Amino acid sequence: MSASILTVDDSPSLRMAIRIALSGAGYAVTEAEDGVQGLKAATASRFDLIITDLNMPNMDGLTMIRELRKSPDQCGTPIIFLTTESDDSMKQQAKAAGATGWLVKPFVPEQLIKVSRKVLGR
Amino acid sequence: MSGQDPIAAFRIEAADLLDQIEEALLDLGHRLDDRDLVDAVFRGLHTLKGSGAMFGFDALATFTHHCESAFDRVRKGLVPATQALVAVILSAKDHMRALIDGDGTGQEAAGDAILQALQAAIEGAGAAAAPDTVAEPAKAGWRLSFRLPPEAMANGTNPLMLLDELREFGECRVIARVDRVPMLPDLVPVECHIGWDLELHGDISRGDIEDVFIFVMDDMELSIEPLETAAPAAAAVDDALDDVPPVQLHAVAPATPAAIPAPDAVAPANGRQPAKSGESVRVPAERLDELMDRVGELVIVQSRLSQLAHGSVIGMEMVLRSISEEIERLASELRETMMVLRMVPVASLFSRFRRLIHDLSRETGKTIELETEGEATEVDKTVMERLADPMVHLIRNACDHGLETAEERIAAGKSPVGKVRLSASQAGGEVMITIRDDGRGIDRERVRAKAESQGLIQPGQVLSDSEILHMIFHPGFSTAATVTNLSGRGVGMDVVKRTIETLRGAIDITSKPGEGSTVVLRIPLTLAIIDGLLVRVGDGRYVIPLAAVEECIELSLEDDLRSRGRSFITLRERLVPFLRLREMFDTGTRPDPHQKIVVIATGTERVGLVVDQIIGSHQTVIKSMSLLHQAVTTFAGATILGDGGVALILDVSQLVALGQHQEERLRAAG
Amino acid sequence: MEKSMIHWDATGGLEVLTFDLGSETFALEAVLVREILDLLPETAVPGALALVGSVVNFRGKIIPIADLRLAFGMPAAEATVDSRIVVIEMDAHGEPIQLGIRTDKVHEVATLREADAEAPPAVGMRWRRDYVRELVRREEGVIVLPDLTAIFNPLTGGDDAAGRASVH
Repeated sequence: MSASILTVDDSPSLRMAIRIALSGAGYAVTEAEDGVQGLKAATASRFDLIITDLNMPNMDGLTMIRELRKSPDQCGTPIIFLTTESDDSMKQQAKAAGATGWLVKPFVPEQLIKVSRKVLGR
Repeated sequence: MSGQDPIAAFRIEAADLLDQIEEALLDLGHRLDDRDLVDAVFRGLHTLKGSGAMFGFDALATFTHHCESAFDRVRKGLVPATQALVAVILSAKDHMRALIDGDGTGQEAAGDAILQALQAAIEGAGAAAAPDTVAEPAKAGWRLSFRLPPEAMANGTNPLMLLDELREFGECRVIARVDRVPMLPDLVPVECHIGWDLELHGDISRGDIEDVFIFVMDDMELSIEPLETAAPAAAAVDDALDDVPPVQLHAVAPATPAAIPAPDAVAPANGRQPAKSGESVRVPAERLDELMDRVGELVIVQSRLSQLAHGSVIGMEMVLRSISEEIERLASELRETMMVLRMVPVASLFSRFRRLIHDLSRETGKTIELETEGEATEVDKTVMERLADPMVHLIRNACDHGLETAEERIAAGKSPVGKVRLSASQAGGEVMITIRDDGRGIDRERVRAKAESQGLIQPGQVLSDSEILHMIFHPGFSTAATVTNLSGRGVGMDVVKRTIETLRGAIDITSKPGEGSTVVLRIPLTLAIIDGLLVRVGDGRYVIPLAAVEECIELSLEDDLRSRGRSFITLRERLVPFLRLREMFDTGTRPDPHQKIVVIATGTERVGLVVDQIIGSHQTVIKSMSLLHQAVTTFAGATILGDGGVALILDVSQLVALGQHQEERLRAAG
Repeated sequence: MEKSMIHWDATGGLEVLTFDLGSETFALEAVLVREILDLLPETAVPGALALVGSVVNFRGKIIPIADLRLAFGMPAAEATVDSRIVVIEMDAHGEPIQLGIRTDKVHEVATLREADAEAPPAVGMRWRRDYVRELVRREEGVIVLPDLTAIFNPLTGGDDAAGRASVH
């Protein structure tokens, strides 16, 4: 069975690009538009990996990661966040919140797939 | 559907990016050693290159890569930023835009020429080769020792996968260290208590190994020693690797470093530009128009209800009136929201002119400085788009004709640098935009001479200073009088004036000899809704924009009969031409016994419109006329009335021009 | 002017809406038709060509009403109980424009056969030949496929000012 991935991002173009890349690599992709939706989706069904943006309306990525990690169900679920090169403090905060790793924007599809393989092992 | 198409999204985002690059470059031209600006340019190029590659714009990515590399060297301090470099990158930026808009075919030669110039600019600055980041391979292999931070597993890092990754490098020997596994009561199941020692054999770079640990490296224990030396001490490597992660991740796929355009990656992060406030909501124009239609309908329903409420259905009045009030409030709120949605800061308009000034400065050989003020002032999107062309013309005029050469300026005791100042501010329902230069000012004698030679004024005619200055807006003044649009150059000021007037705005000019000229544009904040005067002509209803209405006067039947053949009324000792709309519109109806004259004006010119009846004021949602009616210039648009019918909106400037024309004809005849 | 293409389908058919103007039957591609309306109160546009002499409020949009009778040399006629407005959306220089076509009677959506179609004759037509794309023979008589682009484009086109009207 292919690994299922939840992507959380408020930018439709970015969500679209991520979906195209990941589904092309054989992953099943579910999308959410912000932290609130992301949290809901992650509670409703299990994902092998969650990829999230940090700056989002309604609930930002940091808050969502913290909320996710509070739940025992999400213990050990890899969470990758998207960040920009200059956001070093953000990176530290996100890791402290419980993120597994990050991907620096901008990125090419190969990088996204590589990171996914890395944390999923498949 | 553009919101669904990544290519279209990329084009839009890339255009923004190019604007930001240009902005930073132009600033850099003034402050060559501003590192923030160098960084901003570099970041912009980097992102563009990356996203270009991502969305299949390979020519763009390749081309931009060269520019980025050049700027990378500036950023690293290997090459100083120079004016030559800025100029080359500016032209490179134009080429990038062409590559984004087109498919890049047939543009290779232009691109190569720019790259050669770039090479020259860099070499001219005396560059040394940028050192590649050295990652010395250890031929024999590495000895590793690592232990994950306690929370790593809970946070999604699986140590077995790290080991799998390491094993992919080649022959590998793994030993688990269980010395720190606690007794059962103390064991936290989600923490990793095991450490590992490995021997990795093969020609592997240190960077590749570090990449495996990239996400946990900051907090973990990790030592990596070449196999030959095999130092016993396993040192913690925390600090030495602080800045590694992002760089390393790029090294993962060096052939195609790339980008996804994300708003926060695009915005300069150094805080020089207010990144947060610059985050804009992109609303497709059709959606705005659609929303506008809805608002229009709501306004209509409201006025329908309000008609009903003041009617004579017994007992219904109270209920209806309250509903009417409710809807009225709703409509006005919706209108406010809508207006805000359409507002954009003039900053984006002003920033376009920086390039213009830069180019004009090169063209004319004059040193010109652009100052801007009030960029945060907001105007309706459509208004702003239509302001661009007239402003280009005015700025061009200021630089070409207003500003003197450096020598002339020095001779006149001025600074050799000419200044053009753009400022914007909001006052009431209007935006005021000022274009000021500190040049020689308008030569009244030349204006007068030209006006006389064109037959616009009599030789020796007494004119006030302001009247002389306003001659330049006269349609007969410009030598290029027949040009009807503003897209080209060499267009007369009359076209500028007319364009401003179609925006229901006004233009004024003041000038002091030797000190410069100031053009002031006053533009209403929005075009979408106006207050109008609803009138009846024959069986048709028409709206006259209230802002243009000066007064309404009675035209008695006797006066009407008496004025046959003569189309003037005397208004406060001035002859005002008037147009009988009933005749003009060929209504085939008899005049109302109580006709009215609505006097409308633009600037100092006025004309009276004879109508059958004045119905009242009307909040007018402006709708455009169909393309099939574009030849009909008498009307600026149409609107929907409370009963669902349509009223056409009169184009004030066209009618005034018509009245003036009639006046001139009569004067010539008489 | 190049005639506008007729896009017969793979089997040589074309779905159209047929309607009457005077004693003639016309047809327009069904895909162009947005709506069929009862007559609406019209507002005359002074200075516009009689062909598109008025506008109506169609769901909050102002659209012109065209009287194709005038393009085909028929006299304007009073409305009857059968009169309808056919709202169509057509392309003018790449921009979609909506307009209402005044008809004396709307018949049906029918399928025309390419085999029954022929080019308008070079001589002997009462109408401007470039206004007609094809004539289609059917049992009930001949159906005219008008060329809306040829009829309306002169009104919209930048340089082609043939159809311009002005109050000046």
